[in-house]
Amino acid sequence: MNPSMRPDPSTLVARRHFFRDCGVGVGKVALGGLLANTMARGAVAGDANSLAPLKSHFNGKAKAVIHLFMAGAPSQLDLFDNKPKLAEYEGRPIPPEVVGSQRYAFIRPDSNCLGPRFKFTKHGQCGTELSEVLPHLAKIVDDVCVVKSVRTDQFNHAPAQIFFNTGFSQPGRPSLGSWVLYGLGAETADLPAFVVMSTGAGISGGAANWSSGFLPTVYTGVRLRNQGDPILNVSSPPGVDAKLQRDSLDLIGSLNRTRLEKEGDPEIATRIASYEMAFRLQTSAPELMDLKSESEATLKMYGCDPAQPSFARACLLARRMIERGVRFVNIYNEGWDAHSDVAGNLKNNCGKTDQAAAALVTDLKQRGLLNETLVIWGGEFGRTPMVETNPALGRSLGRDHHPQAYTMWLAGGGIKPGQTYGATDELGFHITENPVHVHDLQATILHLLGLDHERLTFHHAGRDFRLTDVHGNVVEALLA
Amino acid sequence: MTRLAIRSLLGLCWVATSLSAFAADAQELTFEKHVRPILKAHCFQCHGEAGKTEAKLDVRLKRLLEKGGETGPAIRPGQPDQSLLLKRIESGEMPPVERKLTPAERDLLRRWIASGAKIAAPEPEQPEESFFTAEERNHWAFQPVVRLTHVPLPLPDGTRRPRETMIDSFLLSRLEVKQLSFAAEADRRTLIRRATFDLLGLPPTPDEIEEFVNDSEPDVYERLIDRLLASPRYGERWGRHWLDVAGYADSDGYTDEDPVRAWAFKYRDYVIRAFNDDKPFNEFLLEQLAGDELVPLPHANLSPENLDKLVATGFLRMAPDGTASGAVDQNLARNAVMAETIKTVATSLLGLSLGCSQCHDHRYEPITQADYYRFRAIFEPAYDWKNWRVPNGRLVTLYTDADRAKAAEIEASAAKVDADRQKKLDEHIQRILERELLKKPEELRGALRTAHNTPDAKRTPEQKALLKDHPSINVNGGTLPLYDGKAAEEVNAFSKQATELRGTKPPEEFVMVLNETPNVIPPTFLFSRGEHFAPKQQLEPAELSILADGRKPIAESRQSNILPDDSALPTSGRRLAYARWLTSGQHPLLARVLVNRVWMQHFGRGLVGTPADFGVQGERPSHPELLDWLASDFVASGWRLKSLHRQMLLSAAYRQSSSRTSASDTIDPDNRWLSHFPLRRLQAEEVRDATLAISGKLNAKLGGKPVPVMQDEIGQFVLGIDNINGNGVPDKLVPLNGEEFRRSLYVQVRRSRPLSVMDPFDPPVLDPNCPQRNSSTVSPQSLFLMNSEFVQDQSRELSQRIATTAGPDVKSQIVLAWRLVFGADPTEAESAEAVAFVTAQTEVFQPKTPPATTPPNTATPPDPARQAFALLCQSLLSSNRFLYVE
Repeated sequence: MNPSMRPDPSTLVARRHFFRDCGVGVGKVALGGLLANTMARGAVAGDANSLAPLKSHFNGKAKAVIHLFMAGAPSQLDLFDNKPKLAEYEGRPIPPEVVGSQRYAFIRPDSNCLGPRFKFTKHGQCGTELSEVLPHLAKIVDDVCVVKSVRTDQFNHAPAQIFFNTGFSQPGRPSLGSWVLYGLGAETADLPAFVVMSTGAGISGGAANWSSGFLPTVYTGVRLRNQGDPILNVSSPPGVDAKLQRDSLDLIGSLNRTRLEKEGDPEIATRIASYEMAFRLQTSAPELMDLKSESEATLKMYGCDPAQPSFARACLLARRMIERGVRFVNIYNEGWDAHSDVAGNLKNNCGKTDQAAAALVTDLKQRGLLNETLVIWGGEFGRTPMVETNPALGRSLGRDHHPQAYTMWLAGGGIKPGQTYGATDELGFHITENPVHVHDLQATILHLLGLDHERLTFHHAGRDFRLTDVHGNVVEALLA
Repeated sequence: MTRLAIRSLLGLCWVATSLSAFAADAQELTFEKHVRPILKAHCFQCHGEAGKTEAKLDVRLKRLLEKGGETGPAIRPGQPDQSLLLKRIESGEMPPVERKLTPAERDLLRRWIASGAKIAAPEPEQPEESFFTAEERNHWAFQPVVRLTHVPLPLPDGTRRPRETMIDSFLLSRLEVKQLSFAAEADRRTLIRRATFDLLGLPPTPDEIEEFVNDSEPDVYERLIDRLLASPRYGERWGRHWLDVAGYADSDGYTDEDPVRAWAFKYRDYVIRAFNDDKPFNEFLLEQLAGDELVPLPHANLSPENLDKLVATGFLRMAPDGTASGAVDQNLARNAVMAETIKTVATSLLGLSLGCSQCHDHRYEPITQADYYRFRAIFEPAYDWKNWRVPNGRLVTLYTDADRAKAAEIEASAAKVDADRQKKLDEHIQRILERELLKKPEELRGALRTAHNTPDAKRTPEQKALLKDHPSINVNGGTLPLYDGKAAEEVNAFSKQATELRGTKPPEEFVMVLNETPNVIPPTFLFSRGEHFAPKQQLEPAELSILADGRKPIAESRQSNILPDDSALPTSGRRLAYARWLTSGQHPLLARVLVNRVWMQHFGRGLVGTPADFGVQGERPSHPELLDWLASDFVASGWRLKSLHRQMLLSAAYRQSSSRTSASDTIDPDNRWLSHFPLRRLQAEEVRDATLAISGKLNAKLGGKPVPVMQDEIGQFVLGIDNINGNGVPDKLVPLNGEEFRRSLYVQVRRSRPLSVMDPFDPPVLDPNCPQRNSSTVSPQSLFLMNSEFVQDQSRELSQRIATTAGPDVKSQIVLAWRLVFGADPTEAESAEAVAFVTAQTEVFQPKTPPATTPPNTATPPDPARQAFALLCQSLLSSNRFLYVE
C-alpha cells in the first residue's frame, strides 16, 4: 500500500500532538464531538486513524462483501458440476491415470466412482445447470456467476479454510476482511466494520479465519454471538441508564486525558476512542439485531424466524449490516463435511441455506445494493468423484476431500452475472478449462473493491506482505 | 518505487538473496551464493529433494547440473545457449507451475553459465546432506555467543554515570549515536508499581508504597527488588510466562470434545515452584526434556526430587492430543502430537520455526527436511506412534507401596464390614420371611419359602407366578425398610461404616509423564511431504545440521553426542543427550532465546523483536553485543533467573520515566533504543487479579487443582462447576467457596472454554504454544469494563471496603480509592472532580429512581452514596491509569 494512504506507526507523533492539543482546555462536550466525528474510526482498536475511509487504488464496483462460507466443503458434483459419465462409472474404480499420485486421508486412490446423487436441470436465460436440491438458487441464477474450476493447495479443513481467508495455510496472517478494512477503512462508526457470524457447530480453523494477523488488531473480525448479547457485555446493567453511563464515561475520559497530558502516549487516545465506540455499540448493536422493522414478506422470503439463530437470520442481518455501512461480513455455515451419506448431508444443508442465500441476493437487488455488494458462496475445497466407504467408521456413500477442482458462485459487486466459468474433465476430477486458484479469487475480490492485490501490502518482519503472497491473477472473465 | 522492486520485496526471502545478487553485478557469480537459492526455491522439489529426481535430473550441485538427466547435461559452462536448463526455463516449460522465474533470475542464471558456471568451494560428496550457503552459515544466531571483554563506555573520559550498569552502557552507546539519552528517573510511586506488577503481576498495597516512598536508605530500591523476588507471587507471575511458551492447558484439545487433563496442574505447580526456588534454568530444562531418563526405573515410590523430574516432562505432554477420541484418524492424530511438540520445543527453546521442514526442505531457513526428522528422532522413542499410548495411558500413579498396603488393609476391613452387613441383612430377611409366611395358608408356606430363597434367575415360571400372587413374601434388602425400619437402619449403619472406612484410603493421584518403554526404540523415517503413510529413508537422531557443523550429522560432530541408543540406560538416552548438549552453555541459541524473552517481559519488546524466530527470517537484534553479554553472563552465573531480573531491574534503563519527548518520538518512534520506559497494558491475568486484589477479595492460595470453567446460560465461559442436568438445562449453581477469587493462573485452561472475563484482554493463544502475546485496545474491553458483572461486583466490593476503612468522609474515601487503584494520591483537581461526581450520582441514585447497580433481589434498599461511590470505583478501574503500567 502506498504509505501516504495509511499512516504508519511513525506518524503516531503527529496524532499524539493532535490529541494533546484537543485534550488541553477542551471540555467534555467538545471532546465527545471530536470523537464522534473523527476518532470513531479508530475506536475499535490500536490506531485512531486506521479505520478512516480511504480511497481505493482505482474505482471498484463493490463497496462491501458478504462471504457465505460453506465450511466443511459442499460436494460440487451433486450441486453444480453435473457429470453423467460419473454415473456410468459408478461402482467401478476410478482410472488410475486420472488420479495420478494424489493421496487421500480416508479413501484409497483407487476407490470406486460415485455418480451424481441428484437430478440436474438448466435454469434461467443463461441456462446454468443446477441440481434439484438448489431450487431457490435456480430462480436467481441469471444474477449469479458459477465458477466450476476453483482449486486450492490444502486438503484439510482448518488449513484450507485459513488458506482461503488469509492466503496461507498456517494461522497468523491477516484475513481477507482485515486486508479489505486496511485498504478501504470503514464506512460506519457505530458497528464493527468486519463482522463474523457462525450458524453451525464450530469452525475448524477458528479465529485464525478472521484474525488481523500482523495487521493492527483494529482490523480483526468481530464475532457476533447467537446467544445473549450479540456482542458480549453490550447491554448496560439493569437500572443503569444512558445518562449514568455517560457520566461515568466522561469521568473516565477526564481521568484518561489527565494521563494523556502527562504521558503523551497515543495508546491513551485510542482507549478514549474505544470507550466512545463501545458506548455507541450499546445502541447500534441492539438496533441491528431487532428485526421488528422487517416486513412479513421479507422474513418469509428468507425463511427467517427472528427468534431463532439460523443461517436465514444471519443472511438477513448481513443485509442490515450492509445497509448500515459494514464493509465485510462472514457467515460460516458448518456441516458440509459429507464423508458419509453425501445425499442426506446435502439435502439437509441445502434445506437450511439455499432459500436464504438466494433471498439475500434478491433482497440486495431489490434494494439497489447488489451492484455494490459482492456475495460469495462456497467452501474450502471440493469433494471426490470417488465414493468414501468405511464400515469401521460407519461410513458409506460419502465423498472425501478434493482440492483439485470445486465450484463456488459469486454475485453482485461487479461480477458478470448469468455465466458459468471454467470446466472439469468428464469425471470431475481435474480442471480442463480456466483454472481459478484461490489466490486468483482473492486477487479478483480485491480488484472488485478497487484494490490492486500487488499494491495492497504491509511491511512486517523485514518485508512487505500481501494477501496473495507472490501469486494471484485477477480473473478478468469474471468481471462485468 | 518501481513495480519490479515492489514485487521483489514481496517475494519470500529468496528474492532478498537474489536482490543482493542483482546489485552486485561486478562480483563473480557463484553457484552457492547466486544460483542455488533460485534453484532451491523453484526446482529442488522435483529435482533432487527427498529422493525425487524427475527426468533423472538432480540440480542441487553444479557438478550434477553438468552431468544432467535423461535428456543430457543441464548446463554447458560458458555456453548459455547450449544449456538445456536455460532453454526449459526461458521457454516457460519449467518450472511447470504458475510461479516462474523472474526475468532478473533468468538473467542471473544466464550470466552465471556464461561466466563459466563457477563454484565458490569444492562441492560436498553427498548432495543428500544439507548444504548451506555462506550467508546461512554465518547468520548471527547460529554463531557462538561472544562475550565482549570490555563494554563500550559512553562518556569520553571513560567514567560512568551514577547508577549506570553494564546494561546501561550498552544501551547508552547506541542512544548517543542517535543523539538521545534515557528519560529522567521515574518517581518512586511509579517505580514500585512498575516493579511490583512486573515481578508479581499484582499492584503494591498502599502501605508498601508509603514505606517505599518514605524510606531514606540509599539501597531502598535494591531492597524492594529483593523483597519482590522473594515473594511466592513471583513464581506465579513468572511461571505463567513460562506456561505461555510451554503451551500449558488443562485439556487435550484437537477434538470438539476437548477432554479435561485432570493432572496437568501438577506440571503448572512444578513450574511455579521452580521459579520461586530459582532453580537453575539449565536444570529446569534438563528435567523438562528428559527428567524421566534421570529417574531410575521402575517409576514407583518416588522421592520428591524424582517426582519433580517426572512431573517436569509434562512440558512434552502439553501439545493437543486427540488420540483418546474414537472419531479421529489415529495415525494422523498421533503424528500431530509429535509435530506440535516439536513446534513447541523449537519456538520456546531454539527460537526457530521448524514446521516448514516437516514437508520439505525449509525454503527460507537452512533447515532440511532430513534435519527435521533427525530432530524428531530424538523424541520418537517416547512417543512411538505405532505403539501409541493415549493420554490416560501416560499417567504415572503416585501410589507408593506403603499407600497400596494401607489401601489393601482398609479394603480388607471394609470387606469384613460388608460381610457383617450381609449376615445381619440375611438374619433380618429370614426372620421377617418366617413372620410373613405365618400369615399364609400352611400348605403354601414350604413352596413360598423355597421360591423366595431361590435366586431370581433360577426360579421356575411357577415359582415366579407364586411370588407374584403373594407380594408380601418379597422380602429383600430393598424392601426391608417397608417391613422393619429399625432393622433397615441397623443394616444401613454397616454400609455407612464401610463407605467411611474406604474413604480413609490414601487418595490416588497421578502425574502426566513423557517416558519411554524400556528397550523399545522405534525407527524414524523421513515422511515424504510430511505424510506418515509415505515413509522414505530411515534417520538417526541428531541436532539440526546448521547448529552442528554445517554438514555432518551431529553424532559425528564435536558438540553433542546423541547416540541412537545409550547402552548405559534402559531407555534410548536420546532426549537426555540432547538436553545435556542444549544446556551445556555451548549451544548458540538457547541462552540468547531465554534472556531475550526475559528482556521482552521487562522492557515490552525483545532485543530480538521476534522472540520465537531467530532464524534468517527473524528480526536482527537491536543490541547484539548486549544480547550476547546477557546470555553469556546468565550461563556463567549459574543460569539463575533471579540474578538476571536483578541485573535488568537495577539498570537506569528500567528506572527511567515513561514520558515521551518529541525528540524521542521523532528519532525513535518504536522506542527500539529505549529512550523512555515503554508504557505497558496489563495482561489479561493482571487485569483480573489486580481488580480482585484491590477490592480485597483475592484468595492467595498457592497451587492445586484448577478452578473449573463452565458455560453459563448465555454461552459465556465463567468460573463454575458444570451443572447441566439430564435435561440439558443448567441446574443450581455449585458454590465455589472462595475458589472463584483465586489468581487467574489457577483458572482451568480448557482450550474450548476461554474465560469470558479474560478473553478481551489478549490471553495467550495456544498454537500450540504462545511465544508472544498480543496487546490490543479494542471496544470489547471497554464494554467489559462498562457492563460486565465482574467489574460491577468488584466495584461494589471496593466501595464497601473503602467505606469500612476510610470512614464516612468522602474526601478520605477518595484518597484511599486513589491509593488502592492507582498507587498515588489524587490531585486537588482530581479530588474535586471525584467529589462532584459522587455528589451528583448520589442524587441520581436517591430512591425516586429505580435501584441501579445493585442486583434486583437484594433485600435491603441500596445506599445511594455507596452506589455512587461504587460507580466512581468502576470508573477508576476502567481508566488507563489502572489498566497501564507507566
